[in-house]
Amino acid sequence: MTEHRDGVDAAAADPERGPRHWSAARLPRGLHPGAWWLWALGLATAASHTTNPLLLALLVAVAALTVLRRRTDAPWALAFRMYLVLGAVIIAMRVVFRIVFGGGQGEHLLVSLPEIPLPEWAAGIRLFGPVAVEQVLGGFYDGLRLATMLVCLGAANALANPKRLLKAVPGALYAVGTAVVVALSVAPQLVESVLRVRRARRLRGATGRGMRALRGIALPVLADALDRSLALAAAMDSRGYGRTAAVPAGQRAATGALVLGGLVGVCAGTYGLLDSTGSGYLGLPMLLAGLVVAVTGMLLAGRRVRRSRYRPDRWRSAELLVAGCGIAAAALTLLAGSVAPELLYPPVSPLTWPEVTPLMLLAVAAAAGPAWLAPPPPGSPSTRAPTAGTPVNAVAAPTRTGDPATSVPGGHP
Amino acid sequence: MSVLRVAPRTAVVLALASAAALATFTWPFFIPAHPESTARTGEAPLVFLVMLPVLVALVLAELSSGGIDSKALAMLGVLAAVNAALRPLGAGTAGIETVFFLLVLAGRVFGPGFGFLLGSTSLFASALLTAGVGPWLPFQMLCASWVGLGAGLLPARLRGRAEVAVLAGYGAFAAYGYGLLMNLWFWPFSLGADTQLSYVAGAPVLDNLHRFAVFTAVTSTFGWDTGRAITTAVAVVLAGPAVLAALRRAARRAAFDAPVTFAAPAPQPAPSAATPVPGAPVAASGDVTGPAVGVAPSARRGLDEQSATAEEGGQGGGSHQAPQRPAD
Repeated sequence: MTEHRDGVDAAAADPERGPRHWSAARLPRGLHPGAWWLWALGLATAASHTTNPLLLALLVAVAALTVLRRRTDAPWALAFRMYLVLGAVIIAMRVVFRIVFGGGQGEHLLVSLPEIPLPEWAAGIRLFGPVAVEQVLGGFYDGLRLATMLVCLGAANALANPKRLLKAVPGALYAVGTAVVVALSVAPQLVESVLRVRRARRLRGATGRGMRALRGIALPVLADALDRSLALAAAMDSRGYGRTAAVPAGQRAATGALVLGGLVGVCAGTYGLLDSTGSGYLGLPMLLAGLVVAVTGMLLAGRRVRRSRYRPDRWRSAELLVAGCGIAAAALTLLAGSVAPELLYPPVSPLTWPEVTPLMLLAVAAAAGPAWLAPPPPGSPSTRAPTAGTPVNAVAAPTRTGDPATSVPGGHP
Repeated sequence: MSVLRVAPRTAVVLALASAAALATFTWPFFIPAHPESTARTGEAPLVFLVMLPVLVALVLAELSSGGIDSKALAMLGVLAAVNAALRPLGAGTAGIETVFFLLVLAGRVFGPGFGFLLGSTSLFASALLTAGVGPWLPFQMLCASWVGLGAGLLPARLRGRAEVAVLAGYGAFAAYGYGLLMNLWFWPFSLGADTQLSYVAGAPVLDNLHRFAVFTAVTSTFGWDTGRAITTAVAVVLAGPAVLAALRRAARRAAFDAPVTFAAPAPQPAPSAATPVPGAPVAASGDVTGPAVGVAPSARRGLDEQSATAEEGGQGGGSHQAPQRPAD
């Protein structure tokens, strides 16, 4: 029903956008959060399989471009900058730690710092010493890879609506998901509660500052919040929360056994993974099998929960396209790795200039797809305006990612 | 008291998952130099990064598999919101950490299962509100959950000053433990492979432990972690008694332990729809419509203790009788 109405709206609002079926697909709407996460995980997978700084910089640029074109005004969408800063911090930390604690391997000496031997309790460790280009560059490559993965996750954070994602949790996690939704809804009300209590204090002429004022405000706000939780519980009861489906005792025992058996498998697999004398079958296969069994048990246990969904998110063509772009980017990078692994992991000694192959560029192009393929976010017509300028951005971005914190100037749509 | 009953099966699941999860923190100590079971050494961190969120989800699902009472769930959500609102207060100021204080107190009052859930939901909600979702989140959630669980497992008999002292001590201990575990998780990722402080695959455990001790001492133990421990302990000592009283009062009003019984309808006029206290069925004499409904006799003392603070805040001490807004 909603789709039909939206289609009519689109035809009425944007007659110049082409045939009706196309404009219906291009309607401003929120994409399924799972699609954004799959796309971002695909990008992160691609980034995890390379240390080529050019490819990594291109991936960061693609993530930033997509965020700029497709994010909303929601608070979580504005935090992308934080991830860029965090990535820069990680790179800086890696490089600084290499300089301070590094062993000083490598031929091309950059600078020779005075050595400081540490006291006895940290025996065997000295600070500073000779700093080689290879050493610093190795730290930079590693840090850049980690930072790129982080920025990809940050893009998913900025683009996917967490509240809609919580709606899609499996039934077994329904109660916990509900608690988080309650928390997200109550948090803004706390601000209102604080303002109310402060106003009441002022009306009574209470001018206490410091610790006394804190007690006078914090405790009533806490008491108010706790009272509110009881009112909320009554409201939930009256709306039928907690209704469960009858599940036969035998099935409950079976799901319990699945979860327990799976966890035992996970423990054994972890032990096998970390045990140097362990035989092969105890390791990774056991761990993964245990996880699969336990998750199956959890999903079966979710049958007990009966709930209805209000306006569920559906997987339509745009969602499939976006998720497919991420998976294609990961697959193309893996393919590039199997064709020429030395180009994906450019060696630091001997020093070589990193190269980009057409296959890598194809992976980056696939990753950039959602910037145009995804429908524009709701409530922001201005996001369509800078279309002409953005391809230039994509090409120019690698030169600017040396300073990720500033690579999104004018980041507001 | 325990708001959330932890069945024996749940306890076993919790123990197994915690044991496996501990390995996702401590793997640098044990990882062999040339593992036959994994193709490359580099795979191990990724395997654990994928494994831990699943483990956390399993434990959370198992804890709530018996169905969470609506009052407990609302309490969980509201306390998680308070915790999530408290968290940014300390961020940015080095070492001031405000999350643990309420987590420890609530875990103490509402029991270990509730404490575990509160730790996870608080950090998850806080990550969503300030958009801090990343690979570190499941690890933070699990550590905070352990903190809440431990607070619920402290000896139940303590009251008064001894209780506050024990809670403050536990808060400081938990703050250090949390910092240590998170450092341990971040250690391989922050350093990379070849500095003198990095872990060495296949080296003796004590050798790696020594490296980690130096790393954590250099980076955070004396600054960040100590600040966090002091903040938590001081907050518990200063505000602990009042917050404990508020939480216990809420627990009594919610009447979590009350068995719900249904009796034949009495020929009285029907009570208004918005009965202020959902725990009404406790009232022993079947007096469902009285003005003090649901406040068990033993709870009166708690109310009187509380009325002073409640009045101070402009709540009029009568919030339990005021008409309730329907929450949405």
